[in-house]
Amino acid sequence: MELFEMFSYPFMQRAFLAGLMLAALLSFLGIFVTVRKMSFFGDGIAHSTLAGLAIALLAGISPLPTALIWAALVALLIWWLEQRTHLPSDTLIGIFFTSSMSLGVILMSFKAGYQPELVSFLFGSILAIRTPDLIYIYTVGVVILIWLASNLKRLIYLSLSRDQAAVSGVAVSRKTLLLYIGLALATVLGVKMLGIILVSALLILPAAASRLITKTFRGHIIASVILAEIMVAVGLIVSFIYDLPSGATVVLIGAVMFSLAAILKPLRA
Amino acid sequence: MPKQSPKINRQTALVSQNCSISYGEKVVVENVSFEIPRGSVAALIGPNGSGKTTLIKAILGLIPMTAGRILIFGAPIDEMRDRIGYVPQRLEFDPDFPITVAEYMDLARHKHCPKSRIAEMLDEVGLPTDIVGRQLGKLSGGQLQRVLIAQALLNEPWLLILDEPASGIDVVGEEAFFKIIQHLKVEHRTTILMVSHELAVVSKLVDNVICLNRQMLCFGAPEAALTEETITRVFGEHSRVYSHTKHKNKHTKNSDDHKSKHN
Repeated sequence: MELFEMFSYPFMQRAFLAGLMLAALLSFLGIFVTVRKMSFFGDGIAHSTLAGLAIALLAGISPLPTALIWAALVALLIWWLEQRTHLPSDTLIGIFFTSSMSLGVILMSFKAGYQPELVSFLFGSILAIRTPDLIYIYTVGVVILIWLASNLKRLIYLSLSRDQAAVSGVAVSRKTLLLYIGLALATVLGVKMLGIILVSALLILPAAASRLITKTFRGHIIASVILAEIMVAVGLIVSFIYDLPSGATVVLIGAVMFSLAAILKPLRA
Repeated sequence: MPKQSPKINRQTALVSQNCSISYGEKVVVENVSFEIPRGSVAALIGPNGSGKTTLIKAILGLIPMTAGRILIFGAPIDEMRDRIGYVPQRLEFDPDFPITVAEYMDLARHKHCPKSRIAEMLDEVGLPTDIVGRQLGKLSGGQLQRVLIAQALLNEPWLLILDEPASGIDVVGEEAFFKIIQHLKVEHRTTILMVSHELAVVSKLVDNVICLNRQMLCFGAPEAALTEETITRVFGEHSRVYSHTKHKNKHTKNSDDHKSKHN
């Protein structure tokens, strides 16, 4: 009964539509994040968007597109510095995480009073998603998913074995840059749902759980996306029924699913 | 079929002309020149830190050279990628990653190569075709190495480059590996360049040996190039053990090589 009531609200319909797309997008990208041991990337990009948001709030312009552009810029700089300095990506992500967030905090100090937009980005507000947000999520999401699907073999090859992929003719540098930008954009879209603090959970939890219970790469992708969809759908329903914060509930459902996968994982011979 | 450069030289597989490579101020490979004829097997030998892997990476176009040039069948690497197979020393990723043998091999398959070649190449390296569905991380060291070779052979390479192919496999696996190399040389006329520590095997198996210790210290047929003096110059005084183990029986020899490899 409560379920029918739940779906009668337009804000809940928008939340589900956004959640299902973001689950597919982030869990698919999460496979590359986990295999490349870049779980910090989502956190780093999410936190660095604070500067983009602060710029948007001070300039009085729309926060989501500004945050998307800022995140793409940060991804580009991480990639460029990786090529130039040969420092590990985690080190560079850590630098941008902290410096961009510090810039955001300083910029925010110029804006007096309560900032609802900022709070919604910090903790996520999937129930407050508006139709223009939904259009951004689906437009950017579909473009990234099409690019991922059409470059899947090359992307996984370069993620597993950079040298072999390069010898085989994969444009490693260009594909890595595009992957970073795709990850950054998807992370910013996910921030709207789960918030800066929790968004990386949707990148990591489904991919990590799926890795424990699958044996094939195809199965890994499919299971990761299905687990993410379940995580978001169940999280939203539970948060509605028990009146809990939606983002945190989604993440905890994911943590439960990961724990089950860890228990179900066949013991190694 | 892939595009082929008009400059292709079908007789000389690999030419290194005055090749030098530096990391910052440090010169790792200095002025190395050699030519490997098509259809031959060559070994690149030298102690740890002698620049072997660096030179292999430069040949593969993975790192830039500070001087000199490398030609593969007369053309730069970028024009010949379709014609090169590469077997790394080990997998770069966590072996527990969920991927089957067939899926892993398919990553390297070019558009012009039919999917059926995956099974054919596994058969070629002596693996049962039902191995395709097995998880890569569950294979033994010898099986994994053969899968890596089968993957490198998928697109019918003219030049096969192997980085320390005998490391991490047992004596039986080594014997099987060297049979595969012989088969490729005789049946397919594939040119093979491998990095190796196994002096005893190198002297039996290869047509040419390149001794490297930053500079090239010898090049030529093993019986002529691998003199006791050259080996001492390349590996240092302790390598004299090679001369004594050279004529021992096969099993003793492999055991000694393993020991010296880990010293």
